[in-house]
Amino acid sequence: MRRLYEFVFLFKEYLVVGVLLAVSVSLLALNDDSQIRNIRSVAVVSVGTLQDALGIIPNYFDLRRENHVLRELNLTLADEVNRLREARLENLRLRQLLGLKERGEFGFVAANIIGKNLQLLRNTVTLDAGERNGLRADMPIVTENGLAGKIVATSGRFAVAQILYNKDIRVSAKIERSRVDGIIRWEGGSALALQDVAKSLDVRAGDVVITSEYSSFFPPGIRIGVVASARGAEGSLFQSVEVRPAVDFSRLEEVFVITSMPDSERIALEHRTRE
Amino acid sequence: MRQTFIDIALTILFVLLQTTLTQYLAVWGLSPDIALIWIVYLALRRGQITGTVAGFFTGLVFDLLSGNDGMLGLAALSKTAGGFMAGYFFNENKTLQTLGSYRFILIILSVSLVHNLIYFVIFLQGSGAHWWQAILLYGIPAALYTAAVGLIPTFVFARRALL
Repeated sequence: MRRLYEFVFLFKEYLVVGVLLAVSVSLLALNDDSQIRNIRSVAVVSVGTLQDALGIIPNYFDLRRENHVLRELNLTLADEVNRLREARLENLRLRQLLGLKERGEFGFVAANIIGKNLQLLRNTVTLDAGERNGLRADMPIVTENGLAGKIVATSGRFAVAQILYNKDIRVSAKIERSRVDGIIRWEGGSALALQDVAKSLDVRAGDVVITSEYSSFFPPGIRIGVVASARGAEGSLFQSVEVRPAVDFSRLEEVFVITSMPDSERIALEHRTRE
Repeated sequence: MRQTFIDIALTILFVLLQTTLTQYLAVWGLSPDIALIWIVYLALRRGQITGTVAGFFTGLVFDLLSGNDGMLGLAALSKTAGGFMAGYFFNENKTLQTLGSYRFILIILSVSLVHNLIYFVIFLQGSGAHWWQAILLYGIPAALYTAAVGLIPTFVFARRALL
């Protein structure tokens, strides 16, 4: 007995570790026991409650990683929002153009502006549609807001158009309200001029200016702009009428070309009469 | 007797710390094993049997808390082995010198490596995963992290040894 006690004392560490390892291995073999499952449940619930309470303490590393991920997500979403906004505006413009197309009795060809040639007083734009699309010189170009100009040259796939901000363009116009006629010209600046309007005629600021029936090239009733000011110049029989264009040329991206050709018989007759 | 109660209370405290607060120290999913540092400390301070028993019960609590993963007894087994191994370095006359020097870090590191080796070898049995990959990816980094955290008590004991 004494020898056994001495043996145990001598190797007590090994005996302890042996027993504990044996218990551990036994536990590994008894995993599905229902009592052990119950004990586990109680332990998990107890510590889970504590962990939940400590959940308010922020984890610096997790926050940093989360912050990084959120920043990336923010960038991606901001980019997407920009693209969607762009698409929405384009959609709006195209819808308005489509509305214009549905309203008019003319043929329309849609074209994108692929170039702007701004040479002082001879401003033109290049369209990505040409003779293959049925475009010809002198055809008017419009946007959903109103008259933009007219085509002056065409090739197979492209066309060049004068915009209203071009010294060479003239448009027969009239005041929508009072039916007063005049000629729209541009001589520099941001406003157009409605010329040949007698001092005695009824023109007021805010009047809408449209194309008149007298034009050989532009169909009547297309909005040109709004009268910004009208005043009688000294020593002249005519008024000085400034018209703010309906089309914002700085944001011009898409246009419709009205494919109705000017009436050649009418033009020929008018030429003959003048001669 | 009083010291035993304090040790038991501190063991419970470290188990709670391990199960609640170390998740906030997690880096790339790896947490330091504070409970193992405590077991190594106990083994160096009180002896091999204390370290072994503390390792067993600490591991058992972790096993109970680890959910129904079918591995009850695994942490008990690996931490028992860890406590037993740490007890080999027990020297009653040089306790503070060991705790306050690089030897404490080396002991933590080696015990942690053995602990992780036992744990992963058994844990991955039959799973088709390679235990050596788990050791390389998780076992060794986790052991290094645990040893790094072990620097804190080492500095404390080193200061105490100087006084």
